[in-house]
Amino acid sequence: MPAGRLLRTGLVGGIVVIYIALVGLLAKIAEINLIGTQVTGARAVLLFVPFLVAYIAVRPRVVAGEIVTATTRDAATYGAIAGLGAGGSVAIALLFTNWYGVDRVGEIFIQVNPALLEILSFGKSVTVGAVILTVGGLLAGAAGGAFRTLAVSVRRPLATATAVTLLAGLLQRIIPIALVQLGITVDWLYSPATGGLTWLGAALFFAGSLLCSWGWTRRGKAASATVRTMVREQPGTRIIVLLVMVGVLATIPLLVGAVISEVLGTVMVFMLLGLGLNIVVGYAGLLDLGYVAFFGFGAYATALLTGATLNTTTGSAAPAFSMHLNFYVAIPIIVLLAAGVGVLIGAPVLRLRGDYLAIVTLGLGEMVSILISSNWLKPLVGGPQGMRNITDAAIAGFSFRDPQHFFYLALAFVLFAIFLSWRLASSRIGRAWNAMREDEQVADAMGISTTRFKLLAFATGGAVGSLGGALFAVKIGSLTPASFEIIVSITALAIVILGGMGSIPGVVVGALVLIGLPGLLREFEEYRLLIYGAALVSIMILRPQGLVPNIRRSRELQEEDRSQDKWAGDLAGDEDVAAGISPIGEGSG
Amino acid sequence: MTEPLLEIKGVRKQFGGLSALAGLDMHVDAGEILSVIGPNGAGKSTLFNVITGLYAPDAGDITFRGDSIVGLRPHQVAKLGIARTFQNVHLFPNMTVLENAMVGQHCRSRSGIFGSVLRLPGTKREEERIRVRAQQALDFFGTRLSGYRQEQPAFSLSYANRRRLEMARAMATDPTILLLDEPTAGMNPRETLELRDHIVRMRDEVGLTVLVIEHDMRVVKGVSDRVIACDYGQKIGEGTYEEVANNEQVIEAYLGTKAAG
Repeated sequence: MPAGRLLRTGLVGGIVVIYIALVGLLAKIAEINLIGTQVTGARAVLLFVPFLVAYIAVRPRVVAGEIVTATTRDAATYGAIAGLGAGGSVAIALLFTNWYGVDRVGEIFIQVNPALLEILSFGKSVTVGAVILTVGGLLAGAAGGAFRTLAVSVRRPLATATAVTLLAGLLQRIIPIALVQLGITVDWLYSPATGGLTWLGAALFFAGSLLCSWGWTRRGKAASATVRTMVREQPGTRIIVLLVMVGVLATIPLLVGAVISEVLGTVMVFMLLGLGLNIVVGYAGLLDLGYVAFFGFGAYATALLTGATLNTTTGSAAPAFSMHLNFYVAIPIIVLLAAGVGVLIGAPVLRLRGDYLAIVTLGLGEMVSILISSNWLKPLVGGPQGMRNITDAAIAGFSFRDPQHFFYLALAFVLFAIFLSWRLASSRIGRAWNAMREDEQVADAMGISTTRFKLLAFATGGAVGSLGGALFAVKIGSLTPASFEIIVSITALAIVILGGMGSIPGVVVGALVLIGLPGLLREFEEYRLLIYGAALVSIMILRPQGLVPNIRRSRELQEEDRSQDKWAGDLAGDEDVAAGISPIGEGSG
Repeated sequence: MTEPLLEIKGVRKQFGGLSALAGLDMHVDAGEILSVIGPNGAGKSTLFNVITGLYAPDAGDITFRGDSIVGLRPHQVAKLGIARTFQNVHLFPNMTVLENAMVGQHCRSRSGIFGSVLRLPGTKREEERIRVRAQQALDFFGTRLSGYRQEQPAFSLSYANRRRLEMARAMATDPTILLLDEPTAGMNPRETLELRDHIVRMRDEVGLTVLVIEHDMRVVKGVSDRVIACDYGQKIGEGTYEEVANNEQVIEAYLGTKAAG
């Protein structure tokens, strides 16, 4: 493999590190002690990035349709070169800044200051720091390259254990609190002095997750297959498995405490949005960028039907239209109305495809945001001040406003939406959506009314989205238009894409990652969108089918790659051209 | 004489300055195999697209069992019993072979959203019926599309099998008349012969009326009850294979006029 390409891959990693240093993110995570005082967030990043780029650089390549993997020694060498590219470029940037003058660089990049340089040079002098960065990058790269050649049964547990340990260190404000609430003293696990894990704690987390993951890779597949056949063959077992699962889910809020329950509540609201949008985008292939419309509709319809009041400067006032229904009576009405709104939004865009559809739905979504904050609808929904006194959906005095209680209501809604999505996907309707997504014209010629099934997708997707809105209204008890802006549409779409289009587990994972992690890591709030963007870009490059792909969708993308590889191989028979097109897609080549 | 199954009366279709169909008249009788031949650009595929509702004709009328089908959407035409294949194979590449065929049964089934979500007994029965019918359509091609292949994605099929699957999918719509657009294009000689027998069996065993566009004259000769030759969007010859093959105008369209003198 040419050294130039490896160095270039490494350089990308170096640029990433330099970038996060320049925006101040590195200094922020330098304050976090992950393990003891030795492993800080910044140090973990500085060494992990070379490791990761090396791991990526030595990935198996497809040459003329054949998969070529490097030997361990080659992989380590290649990885070392890539790691050198990453570490070296950071070292050069460090030396340059020191030579040119920290203050002068700081005039342009305001986050550059002596403290940052100290972080980058591991607390030593700049020269020593540069050496550490270079040599460390080289070693981490070699390790990353060699890591790639390990058997999956070894590699996966190690990766999982490392990730779990670092995550446990990162969640130092959350996990100890939850444990203390359960009456467990945590001083031996999380050091009160550094805030992070103690070395003993880290070792425990590492060993524990290593063992779990190792057991899962060895036995998990077989075990889940056994359970699956049992479930299929004995209806009795199905009920038991279901009860156990519900039982486990039901204990979650009690175990994790109020803080995490609160975050999980938000996660599940967005999970509902993701599930609904998944029907429209993932199943039917209609790119809808105005999904916030249904979220807003669900929330405000809940407020109006259950007797909420308007926020005014003097207090509260009754809206122009109001009903005092029980929440559970209102929900079916809201869902049906939302389906109607789906048809209304769908009707004008029936003939549009792809980009055009996206733009028009974007506009329609914006219209809803503008309408709810408009003066025209102020008597109804309160304009910019919004509404308050929304029902807490209490059943016999059991209020769902409390985060730990809210979890159960949200869980019921999410399970309902998952059930709905799953049944639809494996039915005649799902098949029709699928055919329509793959080739609309042919689907039409084969007897599928594309009009009807597009509207059906908008209606069902909208109905599920409105459930998310209703849930959100109950959760926070008051509404303002600020909660219903375009960012909601984008987030929901990001969840669907990150998880894997058309995949139900994908939506669940996508919501946990995109909403759950930022919710737990509040200290990074200002970098939230940066991390979103980075996550989406990396997913699109490294795993375009999403985190938990729908089998069919991943086939689509692989097929493209395969035919391209074959084509490139046939065309050129030249290793360089063919090698540029790898199974996970590399931009340059 | 009984009324023809499908009748095309003076159909015109312009694309800009190009007249793809220039007042074409023809009919298809129930139970026959009718071949449409003609040089490239003669308007054959446009004819199929106009019949199946993909394009609206500029003038003229198309009747199926006596009723006009002009202006119907493609899915409505399919539901009436006119199914088709495409010149460039158009499958749903990432759905399995069986699912592709099951899509064909869509217009013959009706379970809606509540049935599907609640899996009502009627829906279950219907789903089973769709599966059986799709399997039958695949079995028409013998072992070519059976067994493990049914669970594989359509894109993994060989070229000839893709063509067969496309025909099976069309047959799964339970049509009265099947329009085949160059079914043997890209097939090797053995596969071509096999397909020739299949087309005859479609009529004899399944009872379909077949309208086929074909370039391979061995196939045309082997299957056709009647042949229509087109050029520049008009009918230039009609009759048995021998009659059309000896028609001056047809020879001219294919080979050009004899040099003068």
